[in-house]
Amino acid sequence: MRGFGDLESVVMDRVWDRAGAPVTVRDLLDEISRDRPIAYTTVMTTMDNLYKKGWLSRVRDGKAYRYTATASRAEYSAGLMREALDTGGDTEAVLSHFVAQMDGAESHALREVLRRRTDRRPG
Amino acid sequence: MTAALLWFGYAAAVAWFAPPVLVRLTRSGVDARLGLLAWLVAVATAVCAAILAVQALASSAAAGWSALAEVICQSVAGHACAPAVYQSALVDTGLSAAAVATGLALVLVAARCAGGVRRGRNGSRAHAAAARLVGRRLSSGAVGTRRAGEVRAAGEVGAVVLDSPRPAAYCVVGRPATIVLTSGTIALLGPGQLRAVIAHERAHLAGRHNTLILLTRALSQSVPGVPLFRGAAERVAVLAEMCADDRAARVSGRPALVTALLAMATGAAVPEEALGTAASAVAARVDRLLTVQRRITMVRYQMGLAAVIAVLVAVPGWLALVAG
Repeated sequence: MRGFGDLESVVMDRVWDRAGAPVTVRDLLDEISRDRPIAYTTVMTTMDNLYKKGWLSRVRDGKAYRYTATASRAEYSAGLMREALDTGGDTEAVLSHFVAQMDGAESHALREVLRRRTDRRPG
Repeated sequence: MTAALLWFGYAAAVAWFAPPVLVRLTRSGVDARLGLLAWLVAVATAVCAAILAVQALASSAAAGWSALAEVICQSVAGHACAPAVYQSALVDTGLSAAAVATGLALVLVAARCAGGVRRGRNGSRAHAAAARLVGRRLSSGAVGTRRAGEVRAAGEVGAVVLDSPRPAAYCVVGRPATIVLTSGTIALLGPGQLRAVIAHERAHLAGRHNTLILLTRALSQSVPGVPLFRGAAERVAVLAEMCADDRAARVSGRPALVTALLAMATGAAVPEEALGTAASAVAARVDRLLTVQRRITMVRYQMGLAAVIAVLVAVPGWLALVAG
């Protein structure tokens, strides 16, 4: 069985799939329980955690809350990419990149060498 | 007092004289693992020697305190004070002041270092957690279904895909550690190249490279201006890349890794048969992977590095015996 953190991911996936339409705990419970048995309180706790962490916002509607994502998946992706790729940002996360991005001149020089090497090859 | 000077002397010698030697021996990345070890041993012995120096200074100052108290007592009691007694009081006071000052400096550096490590770790964990929420799980189709074992392994580490056209691939420690690829990377690379990238990132995580980079970076930021720490922060990161390259090359083959490097660095797809070299950091890694090291060169570098490590360990060992 997947851990608790993965349930947060499942919940966010489903919230984002609704493209901004608000969702209740009951709505998500119905969807998720089609894939696996899950308790109402588990979904409720997960959504409450995501609200506290700032991923979801909510408005009271009668007895229940209606949840929406605070930003779209694309907006969060863009934010993470900024954090990962822009050097000198305020993040202190240690990321081991596969390769550093090259600037225009470096990239051009490398491509030139590559082109020459491939051209020289017979056939 | 002598012990303190010896330890300070050793720490300073390693901090200023080891970097040029280590840079020379590790620049080309022949035996990157041994090179990485040599840098870490140099940093560790320098830090330990500095701590021992402060400790030795403090204990010799503490030994002098009783003498100092006696001198003051005698002075107050009105005994005649010979110049020798004044001198002794001066030395003891100076020693105590030095012990307090270096002790405080050490505590300050340790606190700054710990703060840097904590911020880096928290930042990494937050990034990993966010990436796991925002990213989609890497589908096994992207890396080819031919070798299911590797795909399963990639899933275990937790490779996620972020929607972004910019090619990027990195790993970040957290609970759990996460490998992040962009959709641009998936589009750019073939299955073999993608496997090479994942193998490279997995090697980082297995070798705890992010932790080593975090520690050396925090140390270099806490004690600026020390060549050893500045060099270690820079070179450990590069050598970690080379270690990961070696492992990835063993897992997925050199052509896949080299062409993946080129494609990711230039942002343009590179077929596996196109190989080249150029003068840049990436090209140095590429060149190294392409160059079959002559066995004699390998052995020469290994012996050089082993000698450096032996000196770095033997000298403080000898100092410990002499200084007690």
